[in-house]
Amino acid sequence: MERRRGWWIAPSILGLALILSLAWGYREYQLRKDLEITLDNYYQRTFFDIKKHVENVQTNISKAMAANSSERNILLLSEIMNEAYFAQDKLAQMPIPQSDIANTQKFLNQAADYSYYLIQTHLEGEPLTKEQRGQLASLRDNSAKFNQELANLQSELAKQNFTIGSLSNRQTARVKEGNENVFQTTLVNIDKNMGDIPRLIYDGPFADEMVNRKAVGLTGENISREEAERKVREFFGGNRVSNIQAFEEGEDIEKVRIPSYTFSVSLDNRDNQQAYIGVSRKGGHVVWMRNPRTATEERLSIDQALERAQRFLEEKGFDNMEVNYHQKYNGGVLFNFALTEEDVTIYPDLVKVKVALDNGEIIGFDATAYYTSHQERDIPEPTLSLEEARAKLRDGFEVNSERLAIIPKGKKEILCYEFKGTYMGDEFIIYVNADNGREEDILQLVIDENGTLTF
Amino acid sequence: MKYTKRKVKYLILTMIFTLAFLSIFTIYKPADYLSQAEYKKALAPRVLYWGSTGQDVKNVQWQLVKWGYLVGEVDGVYGPETYRAVRRFQQKNGLRVDGVVGPETAAALGITLSETTASTGLNRQSDEYLLARCIHGEARGEPYVGKVAVGAVVLNRVKSPQFPNTIAGVIYQPLAFTAVADGQINLTPNKDSINAARDALNGWDPTYGALYYWNPQTATSKWIWTRTVTLKIGKHWFGV
Repeated sequence: MERRRGWWIAPSILGLALILSLAWGYREYQLRKDLEITLDNYYQRTFFDIKKHVENVQTNISKAMAANSSERNILLLSEIMNEAYFAQDKLAQMPIPQSDIANTQKFLNQAADYSYYLIQTHLEGEPLTKEQRGQLASLRDNSAKFNQELANLQSELAKQNFTIGSLSNRQTARVKEGNENVFQTTLVNIDKNMGDIPRLIYDGPFADEMVNRKAVGLTGENISREEAERKVREFFGGNRVSNIQAFEEGEDIEKVRIPSYTFSVSLDNRDNQQAYIGVSRKGGHVVWMRNPRTATEERLSIDQALERAQRFLEEKGFDNMEVNYHQKYNGGVLFNFALTEEDVTIYPDLVKVKVALDNGEIIGFDATAYYTSHQERDIPEPTLSLEEARAKLRDGFEVNSERLAIIPKGKKEILCYEFKGTYMGDEFIIYVNADNGREEDILQLVIDENGTLTF
Repeated sequence: MKYTKRKVKYLILTMIFTLAFLSIFTIYKPADYLSQAEYKKALAPRVLYWGSTGQDVKNVQWQLVKWGYLVGEVDGVYGPETYRAVRRFQQKNGLRVDGVVGPETAAALGITLSETTASTGLNRQSDEYLLARCIHGEARGEPYVGKVAVGAVVLNRVKSPQFPNTIAGVIYQPLAFTAVADGQINLTPNKDSINAARDALNGWDPTYGALYYWNPQTATSKWIWTRTVTLKIGKHWFGV
């Protein structure tokens, strides 16, 4: 009897537990489903957008080829640039491995970049050349092909009741496999085609020639690792180096922009610091050096630190370097030096030096930019006089300093008058082409107690 | 009779086990480092850390001096003294001790952080902090040069036509970084990661333009081995 009285307790608690866990499980399931739908909606939207943007690129290129006035062309080209960037940006948000879309992304980025380049040629009053029209036609054909593939993909996906979100989360293996096959194969195919198209020849930051640019400033013969180690000891001077350890290198080390030997160096002062240094294989130049220590005390002023940096550059054989900006961080000051020749500041030949503010030690050096671009230059005489160039500036722009400078523009270098000054309370540098008076570039400066940032 | 009695006992025992097991789901919260990460920080609120300057830092220092955590100057520069004082303050007040003045520490100090530093709103702070978080999530066990290298890869990708054109675009590209996928990017970056981000933004690239890196021990994708291999820094191989 005793036993019988309590018989219901166990099953009812068990039953309750079962109901609770089912309810909990159902809630989790609902939540997951909600999130999945939200994510999938987002991916669907992105996919449809990409399709639309690529379509717009295609039609706008066709229109630009039909248009005759450069005004219309400029408007159309700026639209092409926008649409291509949008497509590129959204493509990168899809849950697809980067390796499957690298060429497609490059195609879109270069299409946008190329349009910007053509806008500039139009604005300079030059009509499109035959080659440029040819390149536009090939851009149009390729975006048409791309668009066609996207359309096929879209209808294929509609048939299969596909969810893009399933690419990024777990699903039954079979469904996922099927989905991936259609989606991935199409995109991989598109990407392969994109890889085969002839490259665009133009001048812009995303052009192949700029991306694969090799350093022109390195002189001398190739050196061995032992010689490089000797250069390292020489660079730090005295007997400061107690140990040199080379970084392990891969088989393709020669394919980087400045093939170098890279070392980690133990310095024989105070607390056994580690510094890092890169020495170019060609010519054995020290390309960069960093000692990542942070200085805790600031005993030196910026001017004293600058003096150290200048002395250091002279010791290392960099003559005629002029300081431009500095940036104070982590207990050190980073100075930007540019080469000056015949009173012209040559910005591409840039060297950075970082000085610790506690003892004035040189804790950073970077001549990558210098060795990338430095070469013998024929600096032309400016066609415009300083007064003529100044007249090109906006009324109300207060000039604080002015000088001649060479600035990089794509792979070219152009001689400009540099005007530093203020307009409506903001600080700017304006570059006026010394040949034809065009405003080549405008930089906005933000100056605070730590130094200067350019935007 | 005896047999059924034992049966009931078993039943009750099973029941207790089941309940205990189920209670795991309701009571247990994964106590790993991820849930400790402040997801709010993902939106990069105004935070002060080593190297920050300005009026906000002055306010923090003033408060710390007043309460005796900081013996030193109120100079508006977040240096080692301030860093240690903030850590002491956080320790005493049960806050997470990271030496970073975020919204919570600021609230405990009784100050509100202004939204932006410069009046123009132009600054590099959000880039710097996002990059630092990425470095921290991806490479916090690496030597310093390895951290800068990871930051440099992000910046090289921004400049490459094959990748998105903003720092956030590169970092949050799906399937690009494991630390983004598993949420480790939301951890608060430490001083080293922040310094590494600054060094990378100031142009230090120990990888000579690398676009990829992988850890040979953990890399799952076979594809990555088809990349060119250039340099090994810390545990990572780098390639273009």
